[in-house]
Amino acid sequence: MDDTSLKEDIGTEEFWVNMGPQHPSTHGVLRLELKLSGETVVDGIVHIGYLHRSMEKIAENRTYTQFIPFTDRLDYLASMNNNLAYVLAVEKLMGIEVSDRAKYIRVIMAELGRIASHLFGITTFVQDLGAFATPLFYGMREREKIVELFDDVCGQRLTYNYMRVGGVSRDLPNGADGKIKGIIKYLRPKFDDLEALFNSNPIFTARTRGVGVLTASKAVNYGVTGPNLRASGVKWDLRKDEPYLCYDKFTFDIPVGNNGDAWDRYKVRMDEMRQSLRIAEQAVLGLPEGDPTVKAGRIFRPEPGETYMRSENPRGELGFYIVSDGSPIPFRMKIRSPSFSNIAVLPDLIRGLKIADAVCVLGSLDVVMGEIDR
Amino acid sequence: MIKYFTCIISGIWNLAKGLFVTLKNVFVKPVTLQYPTQKLEMTQRYRGLVDLYPEKCIKCGQCVKICPTACLDLSVKAGEGADKKKEFGHFKYNMELCCFCGLCEQVCPTQAIYMNKIYEIAVYEHGKLHIDLLDKDKYDEWANPDVK
Repeated sequence: MDDTSLKEDIGTEEFWVNMGPQHPSTHGVLRLELKLSGETVVDGIVHIGYLHRSMEKIAENRTYTQFIPFTDRLDYLASMNNNLAYVLAVEKLMGIEVSDRAKYIRVIMAELGRIASHLFGITTFVQDLGAFATPLFYGMREREKIVELFDDVCGQRLTYNYMRVGGVSRDLPNGADGKIKGIIKYLRPKFDDLEALFNSNPIFTARTRGVGVLTASKAVNYGVTGPNLRASGVKWDLRKDEPYLCYDKFTFDIPVGNNGDAWDRYKVRMDEMRQSLRIAEQAVLGLPEGDPTVKAGRIFRPEPGETYMRSENPRGELGFYIVSDGSPIPFRMKIRSPSFSNIAVLPDLIRGLKIADAVCVLGSLDVVMGEIDR
Repeated sequence: MIKYFTCIISGIWNLAKGLFVTLKNVFVKPVTLQYPTQKLEMTQRYRGLVDLYPEKCIKCGQCVKICPTACLDLSVKAGEGADKKKEFGHFKYNMELCCFCGLCEQVCPTQAIYMNKIYEIAVYEHGKLHIDLLDKDKYDEWANPDVK
């Protein structure tokens, strides 16, 4: 064999590589099939379903109260918000009015849950970019304050099962409002500390600015919601645009990004946490008296019909579509989870980027597999 | 060339800023506990394992009905006394299925069923997760891990 023929045979070719499902930066059991040309991502296919527990089918065999603990397991980083979205849907179906105190408590819990979720989302994102451990531990430490409060209020640290159709399971314990005020006071300067770590860090800015740009029109077309949509410059927040509970009574801003890149998605989340603190502060100052609790054992028999209710979760718009046939269990339930739509946009965003940037885009979208696979 | 040096200077400045944040935390009290020797006290409302006061229970079965994962199993028989007061057949608790939601505790009209503060619930044997709630010593091993 002569040398020239050997040289002609050697060439480069594109190849497929699996990223996940056990990859540390895939945020759960997500499998990404990447077509690579060297380091560059040519194409990507998202495979989901590794965490499927058939939640929607389970709902068809449980009473309305019995399904509340299952909603904890959707987006397990923001269980409180999932509880809220579900009970709001059932209340809409039943036409139940909720007491003022229950509404305020729900707002406080939802906003603190949002902060806990964003803290985790941001710090794991930064860890994906190589800031090993330090920011994550700071974020976890601040989140711990909120989790401890939830533990005090409902007895668990992750799966709260706190909201009930018509109210909440238990009133706040004695001294909880002082504790919430303390948490708000504690968290404010901590956000500044986190921003001091990230905002002007040359590595972080170089890795995120201009990476994974999601245009507003593409975001809307894909059904992207939440901070990811607002980072693209679309001012859409259900708390402002379709107020539920008593969000219309509070003053707060909707942080919006300009470019829709990974940096904007980080920044919107950071600003949103400050706004959540504002809402929680107003709610705890105006907390009315009364009894927010309801009896757990009540069996609900809604009139035959259907309803769709959505609420603003940390990751976007969580919707529950419930069809009732008049029996104590739902005839059909469909869960519209925000992460499912948010991850759909991933192949479009990572095309043409390097592998390391694909990790950055995935981290900045902040998806949770629990609610994608349901 | 100027850009190159400004990059280096701003990088050093931001490194200093970041180090200042970490420096502030050097003098803060640790938030972690040395686990096996120090243990966290559970909150008043903590939802641990399901437990029962048999004398308080009126055998209404509401806890069994509301359990979302059907982990409780209660059987009741008519008593032998003159008033035919209901008596326990058995009251089993399958911890494998339990999702610690606390609905049984909340629905109980006499606060007979409750959730205790035990949180170290790992076991070596599968059978140990099937618990008889009427057994008085059922949680002895878990409550005092040193007891063998």
